Amino acid sequence: MEQWLNQVFITQEVYVALAVLFFTSVLFLLFRLFRRTKSNTIVLAGLSGSGKTVLFYQLQDGSSHQGTVTSMDPNEGSFVLHSETSKKGKIKPVHVVDVPGHSRLRPKLDEFLSQAAGLVFVVDALDFLPNCRAAAEYLYDILTKASVVNKRIPVLILCNKTDKVTAHSKDFIRKQLEKEIDKLRTSRNAVSEADISNEFTLGVSGQSFMFSHCVNKVTVGESSGMTGEISQVEQFIREHVKS
Amino acid sequence: MLEQLLIFTRGGLILWTCKELGNALKGSPIDALIRSCLLEERSGDSAFNYDAAGASYTLKWTFHNELGLIFVAIYQRILHLLYVDDLLSMVKREFSELYHPKRTYYEDFDDIFRQLQKEAEARAEEMKKSKPQAKPVESLTKKEGQIANKKKGVLLAGKEKVSSKDDASEGNHTNGHKLENGNSNGRELGTKTTHADVKKSVPESGAFDVSKLRKLRSKASKKMDTFSKAPKVEQNKKTTKKNRVWDDSPSESKLDFTDPMAEKGTEAVVVVDQGESMMDREEIVSSDSEIDEDEEESGKPDNKKRGWFSSMFQSIAGKTVLEKSDLEPALKALKDRLMTKNVAEEIAEKLCESVAASLEGKKLGSFTRISSTVQAAMEEALLRILTPKRSVDILREVHAAKEQGKPYVVVFVGVNGVGKSTNLAKVAYWLLQHNISVMMAACDTFRSGAVEQLRTHACRLQIPIFEKGYEKDPAVVAKEAIQEASRNHSDVVLVDTAGRMQDNEPLMRALSKLINLNGPDLVLFVGEALVGNDAVDQLSKFNQKLADLSTSSSPMLIDGILLTKFDTIDDKVGAALSMVYISGAPVMFVGCGQSYTDLKKLNVKSIVKTLLK
Repeated sequence: MEQWLNQVFITQEVYVALAVLFFTSVLFLLFRLFRRTKSNTIVLAGLSGSGKTVLFYQLQDGSSHQGTVTSMDPNEGSFVLHSETSKKGKIKPVHVVDVPGHSRLRPKLDEFLSQAAGLVFVVDALDFLPNCRAAAEYLYDILTKASVVNKRIPVLILCNKTDKVTAHSKDFIRKQLEKEIDKLRTSRNAVSEADISNEFTLGVSGQSFMFSHCVNKVTVGESSGMTGEISQVEQFIREHVKS
Repeated sequence: MLEQLLIFTRGGLILWTCKELGNALKGSPIDALIRSCLLEERSGDSAFNYDAAGASYTLKWTFHNELGLIFVAIYQRILHLLYVDDLLSMVKREFSELYHPKRTYYEDFDDIFRQLQKEAEARAEEMKKSKPQAKPVESLTKKEGQIANKKKGVLLAGKEKVSSKDDASEGNHTNGHKLENGNSNGRELGTKTTHADVKKSVPESGAFDVSKLRKLRSKASKKMDTFSKAPKVEQNKKTTKKNRVWDDSPSESKLDFTDPMAEKGTEAVVVVDQGESMMDREEIVSSDSEIDEDEEESGKPDNKKRGWFSSMFQSIAGKTVLEKSDLEPALKALKDRLMTKNVAEEIAEKLCESVAASLEGKKLGSFTRISSTVQAAMEEALLRILTPKRSVDILREVHAAKEQGKPYVVVFVGVNGVGKSTNLAKVAYWLLQHNISVMMAACDTFRSGAVEQLRTHACRLQIPIFEKGYEKDPAVVAKEAIQEASRNHSDVVLVDTAGRMQDNEPLMRALSKLINLNGPDLVLFVGEALVGNDAVDQLSKFNQKLADLSTSSSPMLIDGILLTKFDTIDDKVGAALSMVYISGAPVMFVGCGQSYTDLKKLNVKSIVKTLLK
């Protein structure tokens, strides 16, 4: 009798322990899911020298300070956009990450993409043609990444440095990029299957590539980091990170 | 004069520049420094040279790793500014006190900098003026070395004496001479010889020796004391005589070494010696500090033995800052591991230095060990190096060339027997599969059977081959092949060249001619994955020869690497790293088998994983 009672107690304890464990793990998972859905990270990417770091500081402080040099590490910051600091009421801060554009540092992008709510791809509109192919390749890599496609991360292609007279228009840049990506699509799909880094094919086969074919939303905008004309970026950020 | 001094964060924001020095820099030396030096894991170097139109700068830098700051000084290369290192370290010290992560303007640093610059300049002036003053320090350090030498000499002499015990008196005599030599060396280095000096140093050196011999030595010293300065010359003559007697003894050469110096105890020699010392001085100091570090290191194991508890406590509490001596054991282990993976020693060394430079001064987080921190830093560095910085998408480039109506020319170069022709056929097969018309050019006009080998491949793959037999100038054959290709609208021309050793000047000249005459779109270096330390030599010499022997101002260098025999090396994948680090060119293909299909792309992540396994 006593033994039986003992056994009951032990099994009860085990059940309680299991229940507690189950409960906490469910809570933990819920918490993580909850956090995921409310991601507020905006990633700035693009070639080296396109003006990402200036843009980052324009968003944060509304000033480009004393200029910038090539970044070696990402700049990260959670802040209320500078243009909104004067607004009243509680505003949710945005987590902005500026990933270095140097090709050796590109693997860093993957770390931030998994939690991104939006990606700004900065293109140098002034010095566009010489870098067109490299920019297109980088953009192609981003657009075919599993994390971007699966989570449908919206992308803003931002033509920077438009304050300069000789800068190209955003329509021209969009067309050129589409053309280049179209060519890349044929050549990249052919590369030997040994090391597949691009998990997805882009666009509709049989048609020339357009950004509208992407499963995620791809828009094109203009800005000028040096003069502080960045309203389109801020608009993009506010569209995807609710304040 | 200093051109500019900048302080910026690793993120790329400039925090402070010197406005007074505000000379406009030509070109963008800072960006060049970051892109081609700091990001290429070459930050262990001491200086970086930048050339632009009408300007040639030298850049020096220092890191503050804990705060993530970089300090860069730029000056004209023709001015050898000696105080720059000094100034940079002072600026680093002062600025890190002011630094606050939220602050972006540091106007108050202007005054501090002005003062620091003045200080550094003054110190440099002083150093120039005080050449003679610098002497004692140097002579002291040298003297220490001398004493060590002396010790050796004395011991050797002692041995000699044991062997020639029967002739004790002569032995005594020689011993005396040895000591005399040592002493006269000391004098030559600036300490005036007096009798007192001689007296002093004799027992000193005697202390090093076995006690048994001390008696004999003191006898000898007594003898020496009796010598006055005047007969010294005579004595020197005597030594030469004696030397001749022991011509076959091993100690001879060592002692002979010091002898001429002792003979030339004149002022002139001393002056020349000091003139050099200004430059050498820092070196001497640094080598001394290295010795100190070594000592620290050798003391370290004791620390470790003291108990795992203290190290455990340290790892939990988190150590304050990492110092070089802390990193050294972990780095050494890592270097050894890289070398077992067939990474060239030189490169493993440089990489470790660079990683040390990036970690020194950083705070160690709690619950982390030094070794794991170092490993993580190394992994990041390796990933950065192996990630190609130029596009490796050849098909894309082929299509671009096709649009322009030109054939895309690829030249395969490399040392003998690495598999140039075989892998050329593999590349041809791969291109054919993507509907690109390929033509081969047999420019190996040297080795018998090379053309036939290529023809066999061409027949099997059903592609045209351009051949002109043997004993022709390969450069001309290649040129004709390219002309032929543009006539029959081939998209790609694959040029096979003869294998050559990197030191073979005439052959390298021929290769340089071939490349400069034809201007290929891609120069592919074919290297075997089995190569170890020689990879460095091969690639650097190929690149250097191509640059040196070229007549144009912008010579074509190696654009990419084809790594062959990759299936034979198991986990010794270090050659990939060595080659990429030395040339900066990416690995475009990897040959990994005998059949046409065995051509792969390099999987960077798996290589890094294998290297650190």
